[in-house]
Amino acid sequence: MTRIKRGYIARRRRTKLRLFASSFQGAHSRLMRERTMTQQRIRALVSARRDKKKRKRDFRRLWITRINAVIHETEVFYSYNRFIHNLYKKQLLLNRKILAQIALLNRSCLYTISNEIKK
Amino acid sequence: MATQAASFSGSLKKAVAGIKRINLDGLRWRVFDAKGQVLGRLASQISTVLQAKDKPTYCPNRDDGDICIVLNAKDIGITGRKLTDKYVGHLKERSLKDQMAKDPTEVIRKAVWRMLPTNNLRDDRDRKLRIFEGSEHPFGDKPLEPFVMPPRTVREMRPRARRAMIRAQKKAEQAENGGAEVKKGKKRAPSQV
Repeated sequence: MTRIKRGYIARRRRTKLRLFASSFQGAHSRLMRERTMTQQRIRALVSARRDKKKRKRDFRRLWITRINAVIHETEVFYSYNRFIHNLYKKQLLLNRKILAQIALLNRSCLYTISNEIKK
Repeated sequence: MATQAASFSGSLKKAVAGIKRINLDGLRWRVFDAKGQVLGRLASQISTVLQAKDKPTYCPNRDDGDICIVLNAKDIGITGRKLTDKYVGHLKERSLKDQMAKDPTEVIRKAVWRMLPTNNLRDDRDRKLRIFEGSEHPFGDKPLEPFVMPPRTVREMRPRARRAMIRAQKKAEQAENGGAEVKKGKKRAPSQV
């Protein structure tokens, strides 16, 4: 067998790891020999993958809370669920993201919408 | 402002404590009158306002709630027999009645504290809540805004309790009128302290 030096393969891998973990806090960006950096990199990647799916859920939650906040001020005993029910009854296709933006920026517009669909 | 502060008989220090730590810009000062309100329902409304869940700019990672002032804490209402039968905290043996005699603000504070989500913002939100026993408070100069509670759908009394109440009513009326009238009154209010 010919002799093979490993050369720069390991160094390249480690530099990549170091670059990835360079913004981590404390020992998580320094300790390569104790495997901390590798572990933190794995956790970071796992979180990123998982939260890409969670992000869609989180934002929808946020939009719903915001819409609910404004709808409660419209009138007594009116709430997000009734509002959405009326929306579906009138077959209005606005999604929650847009409704939340309207609630934020142009509240009177949202009041108009809710009055219209209540009829 | 000085005269208003002087008329407030109570621990001014405790009331104003920690106000500097709150970033007050743009927050409203909501005034809740606890007189005659049911404890839990009031507390849930307060916690909604404290979390800023009634604003379209709600953000779960930021504390943006309005400052809540609760007045007349000693006149809060409890339905049922909770005044004597409910214990504040489960290990300590102090019934609601004793707690109200001792420090009625603690009752509301605990109720709201437990309704807030348990995260790092809970302390900050609690700091925005000020509870006073009477109807005086040292914040007269701030732009106060009274909070209108949403109307309650009072639950109908359970049949047995209602029958008992009707019997008691009839007895009282008989004592007064001499038993001439028989009136069946429908009472739709919680038993207040």
